[in-house]
Amino acid sequence: MIDKLKDFLSPFRQTSIAPLVIFRIIFGALMLFGTARFMLYGWVEDLYITPKFFFTYYGFDWVHPLNGNWMYLPFIVMLIASVGIIFGALYRYSATLFFICFTYVELLDKTNYLNHYYFVSLMAFILIFLPAHRYFSIDAYFRPQIAATKVSQWTIRILQFQLACVYIFAGVAKVQADWLIEAQPLKTWLQAHRDMPIFGKLLAQEFVAYIFSWFGCLYDLFIVFFLLSFKWRKFAYIAVVAFHLITWLLFPIGVFPWVMIFSTLIFFSPQFHEKILFKLTKVPFLPQLEPNILSPIYRKVTQFSLVAFVLFQLMIPLRFIAYPGNLFWNEEGFRFSWRVMLMHKQGLATFYVKDRNTQQTIEIINEDYLTDRQIDQMSTQPDMILQYAHHLSEVYADSTFHFGKKTVRLVNPSVHARIFVALNGRPSQLFINEQHDLTQFTYDLKHRTWIEPYKK
Amino acid sequence: MNTLKVALLLTVTALVTVNCKKKTDEPIVEDDFNKSDLLSNVATNIILPQYLAFQVELNQLSADYATFIGDQSTGNLTIVQDQLIDTYISWQNATTFEVGPAMNLGLRAAIGSFPTDTAQITVNAASGSYNLGSLSNASAIGLSAIEFMLFRQNELSYFSDNGYQQYGTDVIQKMQNEINQVVAQWQGGYKATFIASTGTESTSSFSRLVNEFNLDYELIKNAKVGIPIGKQSLGILRPEYIEARRSGIALQLIEAGVKQSKRLFNGNKLDGSTGIGFDDYLIALDKSALVNSINSKYDQILSAKNALSGTFEQNINTNLQGLDNLYLRMAEIVVMTKTDMPSAFGVLITYQDNDGD
Repeated sequence: MIDKLKDFLSPFRQTSIAPLVIFRIIFGALMLFGTARFMLYGWVEDLYITPKFFFTYYGFDWVHPLNGNWMYLPFIVMLIASVGIIFGALYRYSATLFFICFTYVELLDKTNYLNHYYFVSLMAFILIFLPAHRYFSIDAYFRPQIAATKVSQWTIRILQFQLACVYIFAGVAKVQADWLIEAQPLKTWLQAHRDMPIFGKLLAQEFVAYIFSWFGCLYDLFIVFFLLSFKWRKFAYIAVVAFHLITWLLFPIGVFPWVMIFSTLIFFSPQFHEKILFKLTKVPFLPQLEPNILSPIYRKVTQFSLVAFVLFQLMIPLRFIAYPGNLFWNEEGFRFSWRVMLMHKQGLATFYVKDRNTQQTIEIINEDYLTDRQIDQMSTQPDMILQYAHHLSEVYADSTFHFGKKTVRLVNPSVHARIFVALNGRPSQLFINEQHDLTQFTYDLKHRTWIEPYKK
Repeated sequence: MNTLKVALLLTVTALVTVNCKKKTDEPIVEDDFNKSDLLSNVATNIILPQYLAFQVELNQLSADYATFIGDQSTGNLTIVQDQLIDTYISWQNATTFEVGPAMNLGLRAAIGSFPTDTAQITVNAASGSYNLGSLSNASAIGLSAIEFMLFRQNELSYFSDNGYQQYGTDVIQKMQNEINQVVAQWQGGYKATFIASTGTESTSSFSRLVNEFNLDYELIKNAKVGIPIGKQSLGILRPEYIEARRSGIALQLIEAGVKQSKRLFNGNKLDGSTGIGFDDYLIALDKSALVNSINSKYDQILSAKNALSGTFEQNINTNLQGLDNLYLRMAEIVVMTKTDMPSAFGVLITYQDNDGD
């Protein structure tokens, strides 16, 4: 048993390159599709050209969108880089370019944060370091000296690890009262399909929400272990396909189900992937005779990097432990934690710019500054609320207004917000009290004391 | 939902249900609410009749205006003025649902924009050449333009000018064309399309109706009440932003708008008879407390309005407190209608991908 585990984890044990090659092709194809879809839907314009203000990530406020239609450039680069990944053409450059462009776009505005975008960023990052182009690729065709049929085992295990992180953390996040006892938010989301032919009535039933919640939780928690077991793998994969198809049918989660369905193939045996490769190449997959030579330095650096990456991946989703209060309410340490489909949060945010001298206010129409999607996201997320308040304070500082015949000068206005939020089917309650002057709080990663406490 | 999707879902749900039967000890409550029933009621008993009612008023306005132009007596002026008020109030019942044909035409902006650009009207009437659909004329059309022409000081003196007469005719005719198109499309195929679109996506009829219901209400609260009383201008009053300022019917329009909002929420016809509305959906979701809160808030708004006597402008000058109270009452309901209600429905606001976080 211990020996088996050692074998399983041994980073430099040589194994077939086939799973890596198939993964490269699948990932490239999905990214090509996903990028084209994003562009065709007009989302480049809606999300990155239309907005006048962008909610940057902490520490990344230096990341700015390109001017106007130049924003299409990173997407065009992604299209080309995806093709490069599929065919293994200038593979390392393609993977690097894809990672940079994708991550750049994601860093522009946290309004658009999705767990699966973060997942793609991480996968693209990992791909840069994997020798996935050493077989059945344009690179290997033109440079036969790099061709190989064996790779170090870590290159496959790291992809499996990343997928396991997504599933298991998503599963652990579901072990909580709202999900298991209230069946929320699924109860809300499923009943909304009540008019669907045949299934509508069923989906509106409460017990169905409970089935989905419990099944989803157990699935996320344990699917990886079944995928790792040779005996259960086939059944587990049927569950993977079924699970993600349901989510694709019922929820607007884009290409994510397909990314998961196809990525999960990485858990299948080398023989499985070799068979697919044989079908694609018509050339029998012959294992190379001479082993790859790995220098001690390579081993050291790889080992160190792997440990660092794994630790990082385990710690980031757990950082919420460092914050007091309700995680769903305060959202401190919420992102980058594989908390998928976990909450239905809706808010109403009214901002006031206040003249400190006269105590008179301007009630802000959010639509004047933000897109509907930005308003929707900002209204329930404290860090975005603070960023928006600071933006308003900048917009209104040192400004002169002409109202009819009267002229008013605002020098250093305070900014207040009255925000109500409804979480997971409960009645709305006060989220931010307008007594706080939000310009007085700095945007940092410390616990935010100005959020009203959550009342059950 | 195409057949492939349905077939897939059928298989998958069957599998899941069979596998998980052990857990189903919850009582099965029959819940018969359909969104298509709601949309059907709203289309049949609210949207179409209220478009038709507005169309009738507008046609009458057109006729009365023509009579007045032909014989510019004070009697005829009073008749067309009264008809303008009726038409304006009728419009409040027809603007709450900017979906489908109305959305494509931009009906709300074309008919209900205010305040009117009086200088642009004067320029247009004098030149005689104008494209009423152009952006530069966006604030010189609609009911507010006619209201200005019929109720400005010494209104009669301006109507001796042919160009001025014609401008009024053209503005009314533009509105007639627009409402005729909208009505024709609703009576054609759009009604069926509207009723069938019950999905959860932000572009479905149901989602649009919820969002429009809120958008229109917020326009009443912000544009018709908030802006004139200085809510967006550091407390500085802006009477020039009062809707229909010259006829002094702003408070009636606000009341009509709030009543219409309440009727749409409850699925009620103009005569008050009830039908399936958002309230019934909320009750099906065990949220009858929310329904009661919303309805009692509507009543509080209406009694805050009824506590005001005189016109909006008179109240600005002598009873700002009363208008402030009206505004506060109007603001209180928004959290229920815009946050609690859509979040219970599971309505989406935007159409991009979402993974629920």
